[in-house]
Amino acid sequence: MFEQVRDDRLAAARAALKEVEARVGVARDASERAWRVDDEWNALLPDGLPRGRVVSVAGSTSLLLALAGQASREGAWVAAVGMPTVGVVAAARRGIDLSRLALVPEPGLQAAAVVGLCLEGVDVVMTGDRLAMSDSDRRRLASRAREQGALLLAVGAWPGAELSLEVERVRWSGLGAGDGRLRGREATVAVSGRRLGAVRRVRVELDVDRSLGSLRGAAAETREEVA
Amino acid sequence: MSAELRVPSHSEGPVATVRRAVLWVPDWPVVAAAVEVGIGAEEPAAVLHGRGLVAVSASARALGVKRGMRRRAAQRVCPELTILGYDEGRDAREFESVAVAAEQVVSGVEISRPGLLMIPSEGASRFHGSEEALAEALVGAVAEAGGEAQVGAADGLLAAVMAARSSVMIPPGESPDFLAPLPLDSLVHAAMERGRRTEAESLAEVLARLGLHTLGQFAALPAGDVLARFGPIGAWARRMALGLDVAPPVLRRTEEDIAVEQTFEDPAERIEQLGWAARDAAERLDSALLDAGVRCGKVRIVARTVKGDLLERVWRTDVATRAGAFASHMTDRVRWQLEGWLSGLADGPEPAPLTSLALVAEDVVALGDEQSYLWGGSSGGDARARRALERLQGLLGIDGVIAVAEQGGRSPRDRVHALAWGQEGQAPRRIEHPWPGRIPEPAPATVLPVSAPIQVLDAGGTPVVVDRRLAVSAPPTWVRLPADPRDAIARAAHRHPSSGHVGGDDGPVWERARPVEAWAGPWPVAERWWAPDADRRAYMQLALQTPEGEPGLAILAAFSGGRWQLEALYD
Repeated sequence: MFEQVRDDRLAAARAALKEVEARVGVARDASERAWRVDDEWNALLPDGLPRGRVVSVAGSTSLLLALAGQASREGAWVAAVGMPTVGVVAAARRGIDLSRLALVPEPGLQAAAVVGLCLEGVDVVMTGDRLAMSDSDRRRLASRAREQGALLLAVGAWPGAELSLEVERVRWSGLGAGDGRLRGREATVAVSGRRLGAVRRVRVELDVDRSLGSLRGAAAETREEVA
Repeated sequence: MSAELRVPSHSEGPVATVRRAVLWVPDWPVVAAAVEVGIGAEEPAAVLHGRGLVAVSASARALGVKRGMRRRAAQRVCPELTILGYDEGRDAREFESVAVAAEQVVSGVEISRPGLLMIPSEGASRFHGSEEALAEALVGAVAEAGGEAQVGAADGLLAAVMAARSSVMIPPGESPDFLAPLPLDSLVHAAMERGRRTEAESLAEVLARLGLHTLGQFAALPAGDVLARFGPIGAWARRMALGLDVAPPVLRRTEEDIAVEQTFEDPAERIEQLGWAARDAAERLDSALLDAGVRCGKVRIVARTVKGDLLERVWRTDVATRAGAFASHMTDRVRWQLEGWLSGLADGPEPAPLTSLALVAEDVVALGDEQSYLWGGSSGGDARARRALERLQGLLGIDGVIAVAEQGGRSPRDRVHALAWGQEGQAPRRIEHPWPGRIPEPAPATVLPVSAPIQVLDAGGTPVVVDRRLAVSAPPTWVRLPADPRDAIARAAHRHPSSGHVGGDDGPVWERARPVEAWAGPWPVAERWWAPDADRRAYMQLALQTPEGEPGLAILAAFSGGRWQLEALYD
C-alpha cells in the first residue's frame, strides 16, 4: 500500500517539476507535435505545421511568412536569420506578432552558430538562402531542431527537409493595363517530402482582398489538383 | 525619482472633500519652452501644437494673441512673436524644479499636471500659521527658483484650481457659492488628462446650447438626470461644479535615485579605455540595487562629452531572470552603447571624447515583486526566447539582432520601425494618421533595403518615361531586373559584344528581359517638398512573366529623377 502512495507522490512531484521547468523556460513543452493551422491551409498541411522539423519553401517569401504566421498566432516566437529584405508589414499581415519577431539580417560567417542559438530559444527559425553553411552544418542544425522541438523554415532547398514546398506558378488578379492594383494571387504549390509519395500540387490563395472577400466568401479558397 | 501612490482616478463614489491649496504657474508650456530655448519671460512667445496655439505668454496676450489661434493669425497680430514647439516631456521635466522648490515649504505635494501643484492645506497651514502665510512662503520659494506662481485654497478640486487662478483663499464651506457664478468652461481646468479635457470642452459646449451658462445653473440639475443624459462625464462635471471631489489627492514621495556615476580624469576616446569603466559601473549599480533591496526594469545610460553634449539611452533589462547575471548583462549593454556613441554610428551629435558616465535605475520594484506585467504575461517560452536573443546579441554585437514594429509611412520601406533588440528609442510614427499616397495592400513580402536600378522598356525597347503630369510615354512591355551576381550565364551574355559591350567593366549586369503581363500606376508621392531631402516619385505595380512566358513575379517600381528603381517584390 505504501508502494502505491510513493508512486503517486513521485508522479505528482515529477508533474510539478515538469510544469515548473516549462514555466521558467528551462525545458520546452514538447508535448504537442504540431501547430494547428487555419482551414485554408489544410489542403497544404493536412497534419498541421510540424515541430522539430525542417520545411523548405522555394519561390515565395509570402508563403514562408504565412506559415510562420500560423505558428506565431499560437504564441510561438519567430526569428528571421539572413533575410535582410523581409517585408515586415507583410509579416504582420500574415499573422506574425511583431513583438515576438527578431531579425538577424547579417549573421555573416557565424551563420551556423546563429541558427543553432536561435533554435535553442525560438520556436520558428526562418533562414535565408544565402547563409554561409555547409551541408554538414545543415544536417547538424536539422538534428538540433528535432531535439529542441523547433521548426526550421528554410528559403530555398535544404537537403533532407521533411517537407518541401515550391511555388511553381502564380496568377495575379486585380491588375489591368495601367489601372487597378494588385488584389489577389493564386499560387500553385508543389508539395514533396521524404515520407510523401508522388508530388502533390495544391492551389492556394495567398492574398485575399478582404474588401472584396465578402462577395465570394471564404468558400473553396484552396483546391487540390491531381498531379 | 518620484514614486506615486496610484489611486484609480475614475472612482466616482462619494469621497470626502479635501481642503487643499493649489499652486498654479500661468502659461506653463510657454515658460518651460522659453527656459529651454533661453528667451526671457517678458518676450512675446507661444507654443504651437498641431494647427493651433496651446499656450501664450502674458506679453503676447497683451498684444492680442489668444489660445487656439492659427500660426498665421497670431503672427499677423504680433509679428515679433516667437513660436515654440510643443513637448509634453519637456513640460514635465522642467516642472520638476518648481515641485522641488515647493517641497522646501511643504512636504508631500501632488503634481496634477505640469503647471499645477496640489497641497493638502490643513497640516501645512497650521505649521505656517495661516493659509495666507503658506501661500506667501510657496510663492517666495518658487520665485527664488526663478518662477512665477499663484496660490489659492478652497474645498474641492475645481474650487481650489479656480481660486489659484485668481489668487484668493475661499473660506471653508463657501466653495459652491464661489463656483456658482463662474462660466461652464471653467470645468476644463479641473480636467487633468487630455482625454477628459476634450470631453469637458464638448460637454460645456452642449450645455451652452441648452441655455446653461454658469456652474451654478448646471449644479442645480438633479444628479440622476445628469447621469442619465450625459453619462460618467456629466456626473463628474456635476460633482466638480458643486465643489466636491472625485478622488483624494495623490501625494508624491521623494526617493533618492539609485544611480552610479563616474568621471574620467582623461576624456576617453576609444572603447578600450572604457571597457573597465563599463564593467565597474555595472557592478556598482548591481550592488547598489541589492543594498536597497530592489531590482529595476530599465537602466538609463548617460554620458557627457568634452563638448558638453549629454548623451542618453534607455535599455530594458529582464528583471525576473536576471538576479545573478545582472552585472555582466549590463556591462555588455553599456559597452555597446558607448561604442555606438564613440564611433558616431548611433544617432546623436558628433562623436567626441567622453568625460563622464552614469547609470540610473528606472522602473524600480522591490525584490521578489512580480514584474512580468511590464511586457505582458511573461511565460517560460518568452524568457527562454529572450535569453537566446540576448546571447545572440553578445555574439553579433548591438545591431546584430533587431526588433521591428509597424509604423505609419507611404513606401513599404518607410513603414518599418527598427531598433536594436532591447533598446528603447524614438517611438514609431502613428499608423492612424492619414498617409495620402500610401501603397495599397497587400504588403510586399520582400522589401529592398536599398532600391536597385531596373529597366522598364516599351515595346520598341526604349525606356519608359513618366513626365511631370504623370503621363506615361508608352505602356511598359518589358522589364529587365539586375541579374543575380552568381549567374554566370548573365555575366557572359553581358560581356558579349552583341550586347553592346566594348571592354572594361561598365554598367550593371541585367537578366533577360521579362514580359509585362499587367501594370497599374503611376501613383505619385511627393514627400517633404519643403525640405532639402524632398522626394518626388511615381510608383508603378507590374506583374511580370518569367522569361519563358509563365506568369510569375509582381514588383513595385518607382520612377524618380529619370530612372527606374526596384523597391519591392511581391514574391
